[in-house]
Amino acid sequence: MTRAMSAVLVAVVSAAASAFGQQIDVSTLPPREAVQLTIYNSEDLTLVRERRTVTVAKGQNELQFSWANTLIDPTSVEIEFPGSKGGSLDVIDTRYPFDRPQALYWNVRSDFDGEALVEISYFTSGITWNADYVGVTSDDEASMTFDGYVTISNNSGADYSDAQVRMVVGTVNLVEAIRDLANRHGSGQVEAGEGGAQFDALRRAIDRKPSGGMPPPPPPPPSGGGAYGYPGPPEIVKEGLSEYFIFTVAGTHDVRNGWANRLRLFEGTKVPVKTVYRYRPMEYGDQLVKLFLVKNDKASTLGDSPLPDGTARLFRRQPTGGLSVIAFVPTKYVPIGQEFEFNLGRDPQVIFERLATRTWRDDFWFKRGDQQKLYSPTKGDRVNDNDTVVGWNDHVARVERIRNYRGAPIDVELRFPIDGDVTFVSSLNPTLFDFQTPDFKTTVGAGARKDLAYEVVSRKGTNATQNAVKLEAAK
Amino acid sequence: MHSTRHSTRHATRHLGGALSALIALALLAPFATPTLPGAAADVKLIALPKRDRVEIQLDVPGLTLIEEERTIPLAKGANDVVFAWANTAIDKSTIQFRCMSDPENVQVISVSYPPNENALTWQVSSPTAGPAKVRISYIIGGVDKSYEYRAEAANDEKKLTLWQYVQLHNRTPESFGEADMFAGYGERLERPIGANETRKILAAKFENVPITKTYTADLAQHGYLDPAKRQLKIPMHYVLKNDAANGLGRFPLQAGKARIFIADGKAEGEGTTAFLGEDWAAFAAKDDELKLFLGVAKDIVVTRTIERRDRKKTAGPLSDYDIVVKYEIENFKDQPVSIDLAESIAGLRAEVLGDAPRAIEWVLGTEGSLKTPDALKSTSDRVLFHVDAPARGADQKAQKKTETLNIVLKNEW
Repeated sequence: MTRAMSAVLVAVVSAAASAFGQQIDVSTLPPREAVQLTIYNSEDLTLVRERRTVTVAKGQNELQFSWANTLIDPTSVEIEFPGSKGGSLDVIDTRYPFDRPQALYWNVRSDFDGEALVEISYFTSGITWNADYVGVTSDDEASMTFDGYVTISNNSGADYSDAQVRMVVGTVNLVEAIRDLANRHGSGQVEAGEGGAQFDALRRAIDRKPSGGMPPPPPPPPSGGGAYGYPGPPEIVKEGLSEYFIFTVAGTHDVRNGWANRLRLFEGTKVPVKTVYRYRPMEYGDQLVKLFLVKNDKASTLGDSPLPDGTARLFRRQPTGGLSVIAFVPTKYVPIGQEFEFNLGRDPQVIFERLATRTWRDDFWFKRGDQQKLYSPTKGDRVNDNDTVVGWNDHVARVERIRNYRGAPIDVELRFPIDGDVTFVSSLNPTLFDFQTPDFKTTVGAGARKDLAYEVVSRKGTNATQNAVKLEAAK
Repeated sequence: MHSTRHSTRHATRHLGGALSALIALALLAPFATPTLPGAAADVKLIALPKRDRVEIQLDVPGLTLIEEERTIPLAKGANDVVFAWANTAIDKSTIQFRCMSDPENVQVISVSYPPNENALTWQVSSPTAGPAKVRISYIIGGVDKSYEYRAEAANDEKKLTLWQYVQLHNRTPESFGEADMFAGYGERLERPIGANETRKILAAKFENVPITKTYTADLAQHGYLDPAKRQLKIPMHYVLKNDAANGLGRFPLQAGKARIFIADGKAEGEGTTAFLGEDWAAFAAKDDELKLFLGVAKDIVVTRTIERRDRKKTAGPLSDYDIVVKYEIENFKDQPVSIDLAESIAGLRAEVLGDAPRAIEWVLGTEGSLKTPDALKSTSDRVLFHVDAPARGADQKAQKKTETLNIVLKNEW
């Protein structure tokens, strides 16, 4: 069991500076009045911002801040003075002493005697959040309910009582991991001892304060939110900020070390689902996969925020009312307005075969000895037994065969690259995704089989002059 | 002389490892004989003058110069001044002795280095007896500086406030007291610096620095975000210019870690900041740009494909390759953005033809929509265009914008 400890702030006026290193820590311990956690999901990173009131003397003061047994990054600790009635305060410098690796001292100049509000911010690791989703489709898979959840886990070694919780969606760039920075400076979690338990009790008693001076949290959820008089789930306010989205949980919450809390992020009540089958070996491997396509927009009863990456658990509602599992799949970040997909893998009710039905060659060119001239029987040239074949065209007649054993028509999309100097001959109305990748689609009726036939003409040897696919309509 | 020097060294050793550097004065004259508590009985003459002041010069990276001033009592004639140190990485060859109070007449006659000891003895001549202010300087290891930045962008990302901190790291067991430090520019800083201590000091603060936020699509430099879908990685940067017109330019900005925050846009007193990320800020000379990497954009999607690759034979084995690169741009943000779209010509040739050990001859073709590269930022190997991407509409749909770049590689074989 790890011992949960919080960061400790000690105010020492200038005259008491010589007392550092003595039993000064618990003599002037200003309580934490408010705390805000901003938790990132792309990195093991949480920005903690807390407010405390300290008493300062006019002149030079030293404030000690220590964080034993937590995963706080010492290089990130900063102090600000959001406002004091008596006058102004300035940080002269910050000292990281050798003999106390998990502590620092701020050298603060005050032009007044009295109380001052301080805001301390720092990074810690060990507090994380992640998203997960639960989708339940109608039995015809035309729509689904789609709910998002966030789970906040605290393994930082510190308890945060009555904390305002914010979660950031988006990727932040870190050049050094917070956990490494914390461990580099001697932090880390220790086993609980008797003293630790006493300290924990003291910390909890000190930190649990009724009022807060932090920026006001979003309005709390309506009280008595349920028909039965129970409070409803906390509202999560979603706001965009630069490239990020911030989810703020209304009210304040205890984020206790070792605990996890799961909250509902949104509720998609009737989300249209488009089912499509794709053969795209570059994206999905050499198989025909079934995809659910969904849009993250208001028309789909979503679109309040980007969807953080996470895991989706998809079920189908049975006509009997029960559920059956469709797939558990990882999901990527989805911006507002973007269509996203769930890759459900192969569908045993849709069989896909790639067949070559005929191969042949033509348009031969020959070389004779050391001559530069080439000879073509197609053009009427005579060729000899000793002539060498230097150019020809390979023809392959192919069929993409799809058998649909489902009870409804399916849409199928195919896209695959073909190397070489190629002509793609078909009646499939293809387009080119890029210079060597035909792209075409079709619909296969319920219980039907469909053969998508085409011919690939590959020019070889001296016949090859390009490295690209050209489309040609079949005659 | 020999016995005196020996005795002084003995005393130095006796003082032990707690002292990292000390100066001992062994005088030939029989006056001024403070005794050292606990010193050996045969020590006749010794003085341990305290440092009057210390200067730490940090302007040359990797070479930290300590200059310390002490007042020592000199006898008329020759004096042996012993300087010894322990547990401190002082470069013996760099130690210098200068008399500040009478530089013309108080001079070092010789310097001797005892074997296998961290010590030296200056023989100093003085025309008169009395105190002399001397400066001893040396290069020391374990004392250095680093820089840190905090950048706080305004909510609209048009300006930021930049704090520059210098951190003095003293990794030696030597305490320098109230040291006068010079980091190479700016004001001199006077701070106490204790043994094995780090001290972080605000060196400069720049407010309202204009910034440009850039989004860059450049396959050769940044690669794909999703190679299967041909979606490019789009790194974002804040770009600020270190010149007077932009509120900077007082000195070069040294390299260091930058932590970047943004104001959340709430009312004064209610707002806070959010952490955007961090980057190693590179050295930025005056008038140069400083780019702070913010991470990879997730709401800007750029799909890049080679739409056309036509070989046209010209003469003998020579061919021209007519290439069209297509970019499909979707902006899922609710603000318009400008994207820097860059293409490496060498990368493009390697992609469509393979590598070849010769320079590339190329021209912009006439068919692409991208016709006017940024002349200042384009080179013979890289073309850069600025493309506007409109915000997504009220219906939350991102408008797909297609741009094409027509490059003709000439005289390839």
